[in-house]
Amino acid sequence: MSTARRRLGSGLGERSGWGERLGLAYCLVLALAVLLPVVVVVLGAFVPAARLGLSSEQWVEGGEGWVSLKYFRYVLDLYSEPLLFSVGLAAFAVVGGLLLAVPAAYGLVRYPFPGAKLLEELALLPLAVPGIAVAIALIQTYALVRGEWWFVGLGHLLYTVPLLLRTLLHALRGEGFELERAAATLGAGPWQRFRRVTWPRLVRPASLGCLITAAVSWGEFNASFLLATPVNQPFPAALYATYTSNSFAVSSAATTIFLAVILPLLIAVERLGRGDLMSMRQGA
Amino acid sequence: MTAIDQAVPRDAMGAERRPWLGVVLCLPLGLFLAAVFLLPVAGLLPASLTATPGILGRGLEAADGPTLANYARALSPRGELAAFRNSFVLSASVAVASLVLCLPPAWLLARRDFPGKGALRTVLALPLTFSGVIVGFLAILVLGRLGLLPALLAALTGERLLAGSAYTLGGLAAAYVYFEVPRAVLTLEAAFRRLDPEVEEAAATLGAGPWQRLRRIWLPLSWPAVASTLAVTFAASMGSFGVALVLARRLSVVPLSIYTQYTGFLDSGLAAALCLLLAAVTLAANGLLRVASRGRDYVYG
Repeated sequence: MSTARRRLGSGLGERSGWGERLGLAYCLVLALAVLLPVVVVVLGAFVPAARLGLSSEQWVEGGEGWVSLKYFRYVLDLYSEPLLFSVGLAAFAVVGGLLLAVPAAYGLVRYPFPGAKLLEELALLPLAVPGIAVAIALIQTYALVRGEWWFVGLGHLLYTVPLLLRTLLHALRGEGFELERAAATLGAGPWQRFRRVTWPRLVRPASLGCLITAAVSWGEFNASFLLATPVNQPFPAALYATYTSNSFAVSSAATTIFLAVILPLLIAVERLGRGDLMSMRQGA
Repeated sequence: MTAIDQAVPRDAMGAERRPWLGVVLCLPLGLFLAAVFLLPVAGLLPASLTATPGILGRGLEAADGPTLANYARALSPRGELAAFRNSFVLSASVAVASLVLCLPPAWLLARRDFPGKGALRTVLALPLTFSGVIVGFLAILVLGRLGLLPALLAALTGERLLAGSAYTLGGLAAAYVYFEVPRAVLTLEAAFRRLDPEVEEAAATLGAGPWQRLRRIWLPLSWPAVASTLAVTFAASMGSFGVALVLARRLSVVPLSIYTQYTGFLDSGLAAALCLLLAAVTLAANGLLRVASRGRDYVYG
């Protein structure tokens, strides 16, 4: 350890240790402020509203204890179709995303062509345009297929493909060509090289990209809400309907189901991606 | 030329010279983007230049030929100007507030090691995955008419302070800051990681105190980080739809106006004009971000 580093690390630590402790205390308060509403939602989903002293209770019989799963039973009963729809959409986004992004990422990096940079920029552009504008543009242009499940899926792909593509491009650019070129001298064709040399090293970033894709698709609201019809809605759109027309307890249970899927994905991305959480960003 | 270069011709960057293969591999993505993004978004332009009657019949008088009537209505005080003003004031103040709130955690995450670091980052990143409507619902729980905070304040002071504040501009701003926290923290953290600690160390050995280091080294070096954070959070707030859909009652923001005009008044022309104006604002913020960060890797979107 250099003298300078020691001065900055321990010396400064002694002098401004209180500053760092103050900063950590502040972070703790901020983290609690972020967590508080989430905790309230989960509590509200399990504890009958009457027990919380709230009057939005729909079921008067209540009073059977502190923990109840009746709201979950109600939500699962009411929203089984939106839930399945959303799971299907996430699967569509993962499969479709891999089919579009893996060849494209490989082509952009290994076989660059005039306009490759432009295509890359274009692929990232949907993230910079407000989701509501894109959704309105899509239903204007393709009014006849509004509500078809694959149409909603294509809308999701618009937001998941850039994230997947970026993860793959980043990995491919960091790899270098040496192993592939070595394989080429040994007589491997492009396909063989991709399958035997490149893909095994892409599995990790691709899985990270798929996790991000699933998470973003599960939470995506604009396309889910506007490209679908009220008859057959994905879960995020059904959540909105719940908020506007159902009790606090039912809304909380539905939100808790949403969280139960998204939280493991978030933690997995944090573990696998080391700070690549920003990739899960989506339009709010 | 080595044996490898003879087997696989390549350019200076090491990429293989077989551009047709690249075109073939990118073809599906290109077609997808053309059909699902370029074509529809380009279609907004003619739509925005066409006067549509809407449910109130407002655009009827100028029914033939391209017209700028929709843009005039979008930006007139009797039209949607208030929504633009609300959106702009809201997004600018939310961007500044989230920057200030998130500087300490971003700095600590980038520069210090402490127990629970990963957990802190995960918790602060949590709102990233919430769609706007969920953030709106959470705001009602905390700041609604029967919200947690008014109840708490009622127990403390006897008055239901802040009750229903979720539905005001201030409540909307609080909800926006909630979903901007992860965007600000992660953008700032990525930028702080790129600052070379050795410059700071050198200053320290030369006798610069913490305040001097902050003013002379840290601030000049990190303004691109600050600018990109402002741009990222500003653009996200401008485009946010779900929060306002749940919370906004009497006031409107642009995304909500678009939704109301399109589905409520069936005025697709005005909606298209609003879409393009809004996209222009967020793209401009994005362009500013690129200039500020000069192609550095912490540019997000």
